[in-house]
Amino acid sequence: MSTGRASARLPAALWAGLAGAALLVLAPVAALVSSALRPETDVWAHLAATRLPGMAVATVVLVTVVAVASAVLGTALAWLVAAHRFPGRNLLVWLLALPLAVPAYVSGFVWVDTFGVRNLGTAAVVLTLSLYPYVYVLALAAFRDQPAGAWNSARTLGCPRGAAFRRVALPAARPAVLAGSVLVALEVLTDVGTVRLFNVQTVADGVFRVWFGLAQREAATELAGLLLLAAAALLLAERRATRRSASGTAAGGRDTRRMEPVRLAGAGWWAVAGAAGVVAVALVFPVARLVAWAAEAVGRGATASAAGGVGHHLGSTVRVTVATVLACTVVGVVVALATRWSRGRGARALATSTTLGYGLPGPVIALGVLVVLAAVDRTGWLPRGTLLVGSFLGLVVALVVRYLALAVKPAEQAVGRVGRSAEDAARMLGAGPGRVVGRVQLPLARGGLAVAAALVALDVVKELPATLLLRPFGVDTLPVWVWQASSDSRWAEAGLPSLVLVVVAAVPTAFLLRTVLRGRSVAW
Amino acid sequence: MRTRSTTRPGGRVRRRLTVLAGSALALVAAACGGETAQEPSTSAGGGGATTIDTSKPVTVYLGRHYGIEPVFAEFTKATGIPVEFTTGKDPELRERLVVEGPNTTADLYLAADAGNLELAERAEVLAPARSEVLDGAVPERLRDRDGAWHGLSVRARTVVTSSERVPEADVPTGYDGLGDAKWKGRLCLRPSTHPYTQSLVSSLIASRGEDGATEVVESWVANEPTYIDSDSEILGAIASGRCDAAIVNSYYLPRLEAEKGEQPVRLSWVTDEPGVHVNISGAGITRHGDNPAGARRLLEWLATDGQARFAEVNFEFPANPDVAPRPELVALGGFTPDPVRVERFGTLQPDAVMLLDRAGYQ
Repeated sequence: MSTGRASARLPAALWAGLAGAALLVLAPVAALVSSALRPETDVWAHLAATRLPGMAVATVVLVTVVAVASAVLGTALAWLVAAHRFPGRNLLVWLLALPLAVPAYVSGFVWVDTFGVRNLGTAAVVLTLSLYPYVYVLALAAFRDQPAGAWNSARTLGCPRGAAFRRVALPAARPAVLAGSVLVALEVLTDVGTVRLFNVQTVADGVFRVWFGLAQREAATELAGLLLLAAAALLLAERRATRRSASGTAAGGRDTRRMEPVRLAGAGWWAVAGAAGVVAVALVFPVARLVAWAAEAVGRGATASAAGGVGHHLGSTVRVTVATVLACTVVGVVVALATRWSRGRGARALATSTTLGYGLPGPVIALGVLVVLAAVDRTGWLPRGTLLVGSFLGLVVALVVRYLALAVKPAEQAVGRVGRSAEDAARMLGAGPGRVVGRVQLPLARGGLAVAAALVALDVVKELPATLLLRPFGVDTLPVWVWQASSDSRWAEAGLPSLVLVVVAAVPTAFLLRTVLRGRSVAW
Repeated sequence: MRTRSTTRPGGRVRRRLTVLAGSALALVAAACGGETAQEPSTSAGGGGATTIDTSKPVTVYLGRHYGIEPVFAEFTKATGIPVEFTTGKDPELRERLVVEGPNTTADLYLAADAGNLELAERAEVLAPARSEVLDGAVPERLRDRDGAWHGLSVRARTVVTSSERVPEADVPTGYDGLGDAKWKGRLCLRPSTHPYTQSLVSSLIASRGEDGATEVVESWVANEPTYIDSDSEILGAIASGRCDAAIVNSYYLPRLEAEKGEQPVRLSWVTDEPGVHVNISGAGITRHGDNPAGARRLLEWLATDGQARFAEVNFEFPANPDVAPRPELVALGGFTPDPVRVERFGTLQPDAVMLLDRAGYQ
């Protein structure tokens, strides 16, 4: 992707950082996978004869439907607001992103309670309405970033708007749409809360049937290995497809002119009505229901969980999120810089390995991390009386392992976008690696790092299964409270923490969108 | 009541309290010598053992989380011993205990299902606790043979029907009755992922053998049940007419009626042999906890002085026969419980799950 540079030796500090990050992710995965070397053939035979075929089909169908629906919906909505002017457009831009703040397991129980329908179709609708904004935000950035030149030429040469969209705008946005869809697919692949709510038996759900029902941990992790393979295949396919289509849009000579939005007319208003409908179903409906429930609970004085009130849970959520986001961003930058500086395959492979955790369900990661932490605790390397298991650090480590991919990819793209010429110029002027990183690469990659932080925060704020398994005494996040109430079908009591959770998750959502609207490049 | 953790963002690790000499001895002794090494406890939940350091909290992994905190608060008031707990799902907390091994942060594992307690014992993370107090309070059938865990409250799982659409004469007298073709499309059942379903099927295996149990489960599946993973929602589904018959734990109905008034749902005790399927909420002292003496004190208190409170917050029956259940439960009438030892639910659980898989039960 670049022209040869004289000496690009990877500085030792970056090597160490990269290796550390890879070890962090690989150790828990390896702790689990090592058990998979002796397959539990009895359990596999039983599964193959019973639920496995159904689970595989359900997983493929659900992931495909949600990813494709999100791609279509997200792209269409992004095009509507990116390429058109109409009253209320600015408000709609924001409202269309906000469903990202409503976790699917929350809108899920609103749907279940309202309609009483539990099946794959409804699960797909709920997941799509909660996840399409990933595509929407990324596509919005892509449509906005695309050079106006090609579009204008197409229009001047008599290409109708529709055809120009298909032949110019859409291909330019393809990598973004693809990236967003893969993000959505991975979220669905590893989901365990929403599918269970709708009785959909996916492979991720099967992991827990085997683990807890049959008390077969080894077989469960073998099954989880299947998910890891699927995730790796998805990421690889995306990388290939993107590399192919990205060749035309080099970051070199920038066309700074932007495509001018046109005034919306005629049938376009139906599209706006449709978009308003999406907002109503994906945002207004669940939030209105949560408000009603929260009001009912407050009326009864049920404003606290066993562990504490809103303040306690909010505090836990913020602490866990801030710590994880900082850790993920720092590690993500290190990985990104290391791959930028190094040309070698080794560094490339290590960097890829740091994204593996995103392909596994939270509880599987949590267990792997638990095994590793317990092993470290037993070595006696730590100061007397300190333990990693059951510590705040242990929880953060698990969340970093799970979500590091969300920071690594945007960081890599952001750092990769800094022109080689800027780096080479700095080096020729005598700057050492440290100064190149600190004065050139990082400042120029700021926008991408903001995106990384926002994406990680969005998932950590809503995270339940790993937190539930690993949290220390006294750390009870908002999702834990939501789960405690909703697992007993006490919806009204789940209303208040859910509502607070939506408000908290709206912060990274807004931050992500603002970064896009300010013209920073966004990529995942 | 909470938080001995001193944690900060950025990753300061938790510093464990130093193990006090007395309980360290007890811990070592318990680890090496089994039940005989436990210090004797003299009186029921009361003043008993003098070696307990009451400033040291008892930490609980709590798989049951409905309204328990006032019960712990009462224990603290009565004994001065603070209680800390972290909530979670029974099997995940069990798995955490296993992986933590000697470094566990928990003194007591409290679960809502005998199966998970028994599996914890088999994974050797619980320490046997025998005492006159516990022997006297908890019937043998409701505790582990070696005293690794004790039942604290009893939940009975039986048949409910719509009182509007199902005539009294049609109410089945056994779980197998719901396999009758007249219930086709009218049945609501809990999915096979839930311990309640797993322990019910385990009890069927215990009483009817593998083939007999398979026959029953297959007849349910043939009726194309609606699967709902919540007993209270199942009751709501009967009230709203989405199904006519179901199997639920008895306490959900009085709990729902206490909140929302009378429901058009009829609860009927199963009268066929071997009787009503009962499971327990129970607890076991962990093998490697810091505070076994405190955990034991809490366990004994829950089985005696705290028994009424523990059972009543969740509308369950007390395990201790000397303690009266809440009046709403008495009003449900007497029933004959299945005499099987509840520890068998742990042994039979994997068989039950595989049976459910083969039968195509969701």
